[in-house]
Amino acid sequence: MKPAAKVYTALIMIFLFAPIAILLIFSFNSAKSLSVFSGFSLYWYRELFRDAETLGAVRNTLVLALSAAVLSTAMGTAAAVGIFRLRSKVLRAAYDTVTNIPMINPDIITGISLMLMFVFVGRLFGAATSLNFWTMLIAHITFCLPYVILQVLPKLQQMDASLPEAAMDLGCTPFRAFLKVEIPEIMPGIVTGLIMAFTLSLDDFVISYFTAGNGFQTLPIRIYNMTKKTVTPKMYALSTIIFFTILALLIMTNLIDTGPGVEKQEKKERSAASKRRTKLAVAIGAVLAVGMAAVLFLGAPKKPVLNVYNWGEYISDGSEDSFDVLQGFEDWYLENYGHEVEVNYTTFASNEDMYAKLSSGAVSYDVIVPSDYMIARMREEGMLLPLDFDNIPNYQYIGESFKNLYYDPDNLYSVPYTYNFTGIIYDANRVDEADTGDWDLLWNPKYAGQILQFNNSRDAFGTAQYKLGLDVNSDDPADWQAALAALKEQQPLVKSYVMDEVYNMMESGEAAVCTYYAGDYFIMADAQAPGVELSFYAPERTNYFVDAFCIPTCCQNKELAEAFINYMLEYEPAVANAEYICYGCPNRLVYEDGAYAEDMGEEAMEILYPNLDDFGEKYEQFAFRNLSPDMLSTVNTLWEELKIN
Amino acid sequence: MRKIIELKNVSKAFDGQTVLDNVSLDIYDNEFLTLLGPSGCGKTTTLRIIAGFEQPDEGELFFLGEDIAALPPHKRNVNTVFQRYALFPHLNVFENIAFPLREKKVPQDEIREKVTEMLRLVALTGFEKRSVTSLSGGQQQRVAIARALISHPKVLLLDEPLAALDLKLRKDMQQELKGIQKATGITFVFVTHDQEEALSMSDTVVVMSEGRIQQIGTPIDIYNEPKNAFVADFIGESNIVNGVMLADRKVRFSGQVFDCVDEGFGKNEPVDVVVRPEDVLIVPKGQLRGIVTSVTFLGVYYEIIVDIGGFKWMIQTTQFVDVDEEIGLYIEPEAIHIMKKSEYSGMFGDYSSFSNEFDELSDAESEADE
Repeated sequence: MKPAAKVYTALIMIFLFAPIAILLIFSFNSAKSLSVFSGFSLYWYRELFRDAETLGAVRNTLVLALSAAVLSTAMGTAAAVGIFRLRSKVLRAAYDTVTNIPMINPDIITGISLMLMFVFVGRLFGAATSLNFWTMLIAHITFCLPYVILQVLPKLQQMDASLPEAAMDLGCTPFRAFLKVEIPEIMPGIVTGLIMAFTLSLDDFVISYFTAGNGFQTLPIRIYNMTKKTVTPKMYALSTIIFFTILALLIMTNLIDTGPGVEKQEKKERSAASKRRTKLAVAIGAVLAVGMAAVLFLGAPKKPVLNVYNWGEYISDGSEDSFDVLQGFEDWYLENYGHEVEVNYTTFASNEDMYAKLSSGAVSYDVIVPSDYMIARMREEGMLLPLDFDNIPNYQYIGESFKNLYYDPDNLYSVPYTYNFTGIIYDANRVDEADTGDWDLLWNPKYAGQILQFNNSRDAFGTAQYKLGLDVNSDDPADWQAALAALKEQQPLVKSYVMDEVYNMMESGEAAVCTYYAGDYFIMADAQAPGVELSFYAPERTNYFVDAFCIPTCCQNKELAEAFINYMLEYEPAVANAEYICYGCPNRLVYEDGAYAEDMGEEAMEILYPNLDDFGEKYEQFAFRNLSPDMLSTVNTLWEELKIN
Repeated sequence: MRKIIELKNVSKAFDGQTVLDNVSLDIYDNEFLTLLGPSGCGKTTTLRIIAGFEQPDEGELFFLGEDIAALPPHKRNVNTVFQRYALFPHLNVFENIAFPLREKKVPQDEIREKVTEMLRLVALTGFEKRSVTSLSGGQQQRVAIARALISHPKVLLLDEPLAALDLKLRKDMQQELKGIQKATGITFVFVTHDQEEALSMSDTVVVMSEGRIQQIGTPIDIYNEPKNAFVADFIGESNIVNGVMLADRKVRFSGQVFDCVDEGFGKNEPVDVVVRPEDVLIVPKGQLRGIVTSVTFLGVYYEIIVDIGGFKWMIQTTQFVDVDEEIGLYIEPEAIHIMKKSEYSGMFGDYSSFSNEFDELSDAESEADE
């Protein structure tokens, strides 16, 4: 090879494999940070195997992928044989085209249309919920089928047409001829189809997202839902394991599928290989049967089930030596009510995702955790049930400041879970203490090129509106124009507009000033690189938001749901959750607790619980509320105008 | 001789296109019978109907007196050697040959014994464990024959089995096939479009064209006494001219009256007269005179085209003549063959547009069509 070609090859290799290498390296990082490698450790691997939720999702994904792969391979092979045997050329072309449609069709359309069909058919038969494991399996078979057909059909076409005739001539019935001669001939296509279907099903997100039902969550969906907080390094460990498993599978299939290269032992290997292939198929079939049986058992539990729908990474789940709240609830319930219960816990990534799922009518959840503005909207739309506070005696522990807020003025529909607010995070080593205190720091030319601004319209406009003393919920376009002017003025100083990237840029010291949520400051401070000294303050006027437990109208077991909400306010789970999530907690049992204060540290207590007496007052005054659709579109237009520059 | 297979008035059409038109044929025990004809003549369809891969639209098919038209292939006591052998690539030589026995659940010892015997018959002893894909064309051919013969069928059907082999190998295999047929005593039904192959191997040749049987007979009969212009032209080279039967053993063609050996035609009946190129002798003063228009040297003899009164004759001779030379020709009475007029009259036997290249081209085309 010429030197240029060598360099070129090396570059391609780097381009292809650098991301995987980085993933692999950081899965062994002893710290949480993505910017600093602080030492080799198997910590995240240990954590991964303690994470029952994730392992459950892995199991779900594998059971689904195996079932979908085997079933779609069986159906696809049968279909390919059928299409191949068609005598009419017109009909065959028609089938070919129809087969190809699901492949050309964007996933999102396939996903939505499947969901609509399941909901429609479910309603037709009067089912309360129509999405479950089986609908997801049907969806996966649907999108795997064409790929299997596409692998098997050419093998049939390549096959010498007289082979099955020869078999029949030599004493086989047509079916025996198919088994003994055609199947071995097209086996490479079948195996490739099976593997393709398996991998397609394994990493499908879009279609799964639309057809996933209560509690049955696949790995891609679970990882996506982690985005409220950062994706934990556990996932790097998991991804590394999956990568190497698939690599091993690939190498194995390549070894089985001996090419024409090995001449001497070819005959032996060929017949052995076909036997091995058959064995492989049988083994996969057996695994499938066991898996399906397991799912059937799991799918029909005798005990009552509580379906909880919460943000990803938003509950203390037993990882990193924390208290497993869901397990705790099941134990507590058995002890206090005398019978067993099972929590079916599913996560979402945003209020809008959650809202869309619920309003599709295809799922049913007993407890949900929307944010304040979404509670207001759902309440207005009649999607929430009033709570029976006799069943939630622990509501007494909620601080007075967190009651009677605008989204639920009469305290009928919600029990606050966490609150959080926007503040400013800065590197004390580079930012002058005298410049801090209010929003002006984000406009300070001394820090030009080191400032990060929100990459979302509402939060970004908010910073300008607070700075200028404007109403963040104003319906006067002039107020928004003024805010836009301020943002334009700030633009030359801004390094970039960010969301999740903020963690890495602040931890590594790439930027010196940013605005983000108080709870997330602790994550950054934990992972900051040497030489970076992150600090936090909340300006007087800032956005506060509350996430609260609610019971949607699709709830199947309201008393159980209320028992769960009540339990979440008990001392042990409440403290565990508050320590795990690192957001402010409206529960007096928590914020007045000495042990909790000690665990969190002085700085955190000061930041999260500055002066709760006027929380309600500030919240009512400064918190973001729903804007009218007209205002929303105005804001979006102005935001576009800013981003285009 | 015992009749094994009998086709009675069999017709078959594909998509409205007639492929077999009222074919009747008897096949006898221990016979080497060849279905001969150009591509599209229906010979392969006839074979597939006997094997059971196609059902006749009309007519009957008897096997040892029993009607088997509705019997599926696996229940018929006939086996087939396919054109491209149709060996099972996922099985080795031994397992390919043992395939029919395994289907019948024959004990392993017996299988081993029979396969070994078959391998000896087709001279492949020691190839048991070889992959069939690693074999040469001739070797694959032998495996296919062994596999088809192992259950001792009453009839072996061979669908152009030698078409894919090169010339030298084909000649050897012809001998070998004939030897195997003699040794086993099994009836062979052999399909080919190669007339030389048909003549050299067969006991009986069936010449087919356009879905109909044109003539059934021994190779010598077919060559010497072709029934019509199609057969005369398809089997070897023939000059076919219009003639009139003046009386028994007297025929007039090319403006001359010739003695011949045929009789039984009506007085002044128009007939086709066949003269093989090798039977025309060049003499100083002959019955016919003509101008040489082309001379091709073919080793053993020259092939020359002679214009006799506007009709071009082909003559094979060892004598050298020049182009444009006028020569005299003589035909012995035994060399003149008289045929009744048929639908093929006037279509064949004139060499005015003949060239060797053209002939080869059309041969290649007809092979590619199969």
